[in-house]
Amino acid sequence: MSIAATPNGSGRNAPLNGFTQLSNGEHLEAIVRPQEGLISRRIFADPEVYQMEIDRIFGRGWFFLGHESEIPNPGDLVSRQCGLDPAILVRDDEGVVRAFLNSCRHRGMRVCRTDRENVRFLRCPYHGWAYRNNGELASAGAENHYGEGELKKDELGLIPVAQLGIYRGLIFATWDAEAPTLDEWLGDMKWYLDIIFGRTGEIEFVGVPQIWDVDCAWKFATDNFTDNFHVFWAHQSLVHLGLLPNFVDFASHGHMVTLKNGHILHFVQGAPNDEHTKGLGLPKVMWPRFNDHLKAGQAEIAMKHGYSAGTVWPNFHWLQLTSAADTESVPVGILNVRVEVPISATRTRMYSWFAIDKSAPPEYRKTSYETYVRNFGPSGIFDQDDMENWEDCTVAAVGPAAKRHTLHHKMGLNRKTAAAAEWPGPGTAYPDSYGEMTQRAWYGEWLNRMTTPLNGSNKATTP
Amino acid sequence: MVEFLYREAELLDSNRFGDWLGFLAEDIHYVMPVRTTQFRAKGEGFQDVAFFEENFVSLRTRVKRLETEFAWAETPPSRTRHFITNVLADPGDKAGEFHVRSSFMVTRTRSDQGYQLFTGQRQDVLRRSDAGDFKIVSRRILIDQTVLSGSNLSIFF
Repeated sequence: MSIAATPNGSGRNAPLNGFTQLSNGEHLEAIVRPQEGLISRRIFADPEVYQMEIDRIFGRGWFFLGHESEIPNPGDLVSRQCGLDPAILVRDDEGVVRAFLNSCRHRGMRVCRTDRENVRFLRCPYHGWAYRNNGELASAGAENHYGEGELKKDELGLIPVAQLGIYRGLIFATWDAEAPTLDEWLGDMKWYLDIIFGRTGEIEFVGVPQIWDVDCAWKFATDNFTDNFHVFWAHQSLVHLGLLPNFVDFASHGHMVTLKNGHILHFVQGAPNDEHTKGLGLPKVMWPRFNDHLKAGQAEIAMKHGYSAGTVWPNFHWLQLTSAADTESVPVGILNVRVEVPISATRTRMYSWFAIDKSAPPEYRKTSYETYVRNFGPSGIFDQDDMENWEDCTVAAVGPAAKRHTLHHKMGLNRKTAAAAEWPGPGTAYPDSYGEMTQRAWYGEWLNRMTTPLNGSNKATTP
Repeated sequence: MVEFLYREAELLDSNRFGDWLGFLAEDIHYVMPVRTTQFRAKGEGFQDVAFFEENFVSLRTRVKRLETEFAWAETPPSRTRHFITNVLADPGDKAGEFHVRSSFMVTRTRSDQGYQLFTGQRQDVLRRSDAGDFKIVSRRILIDQTVLSGSNLSIFF
């Protein structure tokens, strides 16, 4: 087991010519010190830092666009965000999954203005330029008025993402041609994605995502997803309803894992002898499938735990939870996929999908869906209180006094890593799932990306 | 019938959620489908996936939660105002039932923040009991937004 490589920037030998310097003279690497558990409040809601994130984080990362099951047929299309840019995710006539900037090559008008479609052509409403569903420009309006060489149609297809990759049906893309491939970027995270998105065969996303805007800085949401010890306090109302155990340590029986490139995750066990929180909350009849579809160590993890969350850096999350639909129901497993995309330094768009095993029995599928809607997403009796926290963290982070202070991310700073025999998976694993090891690793990668020169990735790429 | 809807709105706007449950039939289906932007030919864009997918027990769970004083999304509580207009009623599928459509505008403020605004149409089925009072048997909340601009849905419609 190796220590995850999460450079904190301090080891760089090149002076970055002000690249990491803020207007008050401070450097990012001085005010964000993940290895000490100190994260400046300045980086959350400050427009100056957000401005830097636009190119450094969102101009060149890998971003989740959707799942293959959302576009099963040729011509199927959904409108999404790729980083901060509007994107079209489409399966073309040949069945190839493609993604493009949702913008006409002529005047930049959005060519797709609905949320989901099945199309062979996309016609721009502005001047009638029409694109095939593989992105090629089929015709431009008033073509006969272009002189020779003025309209090179074969060079004027929709702008494709620089790279697109699919793992376990999850479609990611990046605008950075120099980025590592998705396979390299995910690395050991694939081993854990297998457990969540491949445990019984294929997973499918059901319908469309719930989408809503929250007045919070995006990283307050990001920070929350692998945080276990907020559950007892933030979701205290559910403790009072008997929907969560009434002791503070209840979500601490598990492991947290940090991986290269800032990917993070945890697996948490339910109470001993609680059958509902075994096997990721899936019905017993599905448990034997783990051994058919997973390696031994993966199946062991799936069988043993009831809860898991993980982040593919920076903003793709899974939540695998076991929860009850109401005070009279028994807990069932739920698979929830989340993405948060900043709209500004202090406003964030949330995406939340319900996903389920294709082989799930119909009754479980219905119960799991109802339980998802009642617990998660904007109306969820879990999620509601998280949004309240993220908003009020943001309110208190915008002032000049707050920005001079750090947040406290020190839990587990001296935690010993798990013995190899104790944890069968790759990465750096820590016992006790109450700890801020995962957040520190996430901010380590954030600092790494924010202090790595752009090398032209933000410069013009088409004539 | 209009008075019934107004009295219901008053309960919701005065945090009397326990009393509000008394306006609901025990077999209620309460749903707010997610909406998407679609071309006109494809309909209004309402999807099978929902923001609310509730029965009586789950609504009662939500109300009990709000009564714990630990539901931070509503502790301290939001101020809401339910404006109910354009009420149209037609006979329902069963005797004593009515299809009632109404437009809603719901404002919500909390803490020192500005207004959150929710608008749409409710499609209700109301049932008149032998005693003459109504119960809500079904409520389909057709929200106008595809992307909710409220930070969460800790309120009722």
